[in-house]
Amino acid sequence: MRKTTLAVTALGVTAALALAGCAGGSGSGDSGSGDDTADIRVWLNGTDTPDAAREYLKTTFEADHPGSTLTIEEQSWTGLVDKLTTNLSGSDSPDVVEVGNTQAAAFTSAGAFLPLTDVYDAIGGDDLLPGFVEAGSYDGTLYAAPYYSGARLVFYKKDLLANAGLSVPTTLDEYVSNGIALAEANPGVSGIYFPGQDWYNALPYIWEAGGEIAEQDGDTWTSTFSSPESIEGLKQVQEVMTKASVAAKDGNETDPQVPFCEGVVANLSAPSWLKGSILAPADADAPGCPDQEPNLGVYALPGADGGAAHVFAGGSNIAVAAKSAHPELATDALEIMLSDEYQSILGENGLVPAKLSLADTLGTDEVATAIAEAAANSKLTPASPKWADVEASGALQDFFVSIAQGGDVAALAADLDEKIDGILNS
Amino acid sequence: MTSSVMLVREHESGGVQELPLAPKKNGKRGPSRARPGRFTPGVLLLPALLILAVVIGWPLIQLFVMSFQEFGRAQVFGAPAPFIGFDNYARVLGDPQFWAVLARSVLFCLANVIAAMVIGTLVALLMNRVNRFFKVLVSVGLLLAWAMPALTATIVWGWMFDTQYGVVNYLLEAVSGQDYTNHSWLIDPFSFFVVATIIVTWGAVPFVAFTIFAGLTQVPEEVLEASQLDGAGAWQRFRLIVFPYLRSIFVVVVILQVIWDLRVFTQIFALQGIGGIKEETSTLGVYIYQTSLGQGDYGTGGAIAVIMVILMVAISVLYVRRSLKEEEQ
Repeated sequence: MRKTTLAVTALGVTAALALAGCAGGSGSGDSGSGDDTADIRVWLNGTDTPDAAREYLKTTFEADHPGSTLTIEEQSWTGLVDKLTTNLSGSDSPDVVEVGNTQAAAFTSAGAFLPLTDVYDAIGGDDLLPGFVEAGSYDGTLYAAPYYSGARLVFYKKDLLANAGLSVPTTLDEYVSNGIALAEANPGVSGIYFPGQDWYNALPYIWEAGGEIAEQDGDTWTSTFSSPESIEGLKQVQEVMTKASVAAKDGNETDPQVPFCEGVVANLSAPSWLKGSILAPADADAPGCPDQEPNLGVYALPGADGGAAHVFAGGSNIAVAAKSAHPELATDALEIMLSDEYQSILGENGLVPAKLSLADTLGTDEVATAIAEAAANSKLTPASPKWADVEASGALQDFFVSIAQGGDVAALAADLDEKIDGILNS
Repeated sequence: MTSSVMLVREHESGGVQELPLAPKKNGKRGPSRARPGRFTPGVLLLPALLILAVVIGWPLIQLFVMSFQEFGRAQVFGAPAPFIGFDNYARVLGDPQFWAVLARSVLFCLANVIAAMVIGTLVALLMNRVNRFFKVLVSVGLLLAWAMPALTATIVWGWMFDTQYGVVNYLLEAVSGQDYTNHSWLIDPFSFFVVATIIVTWGAVPFVAFTIFAGLTQVPEEVLEASQLDGAGAWQRFRLIVFPYLRSIFVVVVILQVIWDLRVFTQIFALQGIGGIKEETSTLGVYIYQTSLGQGDYGTGGAIAVIMVILMVAISVLYVRRSLKEEEQ
């Protein structure tokens, strides 16, 4: 009898556990009853959008729509494509979502967003960043409006550079040799901070060497990481990762301000809005090191032949979910996010506004100058709807982690090309 | 089935205590009460079956259908999905990556089941020996580990093994005097799985320990005492007396552990986010996730999932047969 009881109990416990495991996903999405008032859920990613802008969005929306509320739900950039796929297709869909510019095509082509044709002129029309309009359009229709753009800049510690007798580099080769020299002169310090998974920062080396990520011929894509030019760039990446960086060889690029503030990073290539994170108050949730402001310098990554390098044009698009229960309210919220006031707040915080006419809100300090230089030469990832799948597969991260470990560049690149070809042409 | 029938009978006759009276009432019970009782088990099972059909049955059918379709991200948002026969299965079974993942999953599962069983049994034996205070102390510790969500646990363990700021590197350096600065625990697949094993086993030991501890109370003291007088050592007593008494519990717990460890997801997925190389560390659950949600290829992901379901069902049949045998005894 006892044995039976035990077995029954064990079974009961198992069932309870199994059920508990299933229960996790059912959120408390209270979709309002009427269409007039509702709670609009806006998904923003990471800490990129400054608090002032969030506050402005919430108060403006709620003042415009008495009775309605707006909730901002912060999502992680990591695994975003997976999360959007599951949530946008479900009945508990958020209303407005931010999506990385290189990820937008995966959703615009799948019908996950509502077309923005009707509000195109209201949100800025031809004033919107052309590259981002293209990234958010499918078959000539705009589904995901530009939200902000960002250029990758190099933040550096002035004292470390000065102590080593170095000056701001003017070519990519000099940047690399500076990094190596700084790492050798300061044991435990990354001359150039380069965690293994940070593939965005590896792209300029390939582009500057004349290589490309992938090339399109009709309907077929050919990944070109193993072209002689790309290999040359990748070898330079490996040199930086192994000789100039002491960052985790399998680390990712999140929160680079932590080691930077700790003083173990001399040069840090990161999106322009990272300045806000570095200078965040010491008592903030994600503390920075505001006392370092006089010591913080910034420049645009130099190219192979001088001038600014081709850097990855990061940024975001913003869209209304096709399954939003309140598309009109959601579109109103999106219009607020593209208003001059809101976009100016972004500009003042180091994000390149979605409208060309607001470029001067970035100011005239050295960050603004560097952004202008870098943005002029920035490039995008291949314009294939499948590119988001390449990113989500993790193949790029795996590849650069292997490079950081000192793997055989040519063999790894050939292997990667095969994988990417398979995804892009599937 | 049998257990619910027994429970019902006990209930009808007014509790266990009255059970001995039952034979006397036999004449009355005969045909008149047997008929309504005949449907009771079925009716009682109905709610559970309904929930299972909705929560597990329907998704399973969808998964099965999907595994024969070309199902990408466009289909998720409503495009029609064409049937392509066994193409998905052919692609999966012809992919060396799948076999590598499967082999890795099985090895990982074996290592974890063995580790959890050995440590869990030792903890159970310990609890059986110590006094009340320590018994409560160990139980509370085990319960806390058991109650900790797998994701939370993995993040915390991940911090401890962090390359730059992890306490493990710090302590190892302090104790051994060797240089563990920036030692990455996750970059090498073997080392990755050592960390994963620690996390999974840490989470599994409480269940094993509690179940076996409960079972230990079934072993008659007299037999153990007698064997001790005959000169049996601790190991002999465990092997020749305790283990045979608890054999059925061990079998059931092992099968459950195999099922849980073979489909492990959270710990591996979260660890891959912290570091390591995904391709060399994916197990079945994570591989399905990467194929389906990561690459948007739900058809192929579905085919892998169906293969995994078949594997799981095969193991579960063992478990159910064993449980039914238990009830018959």
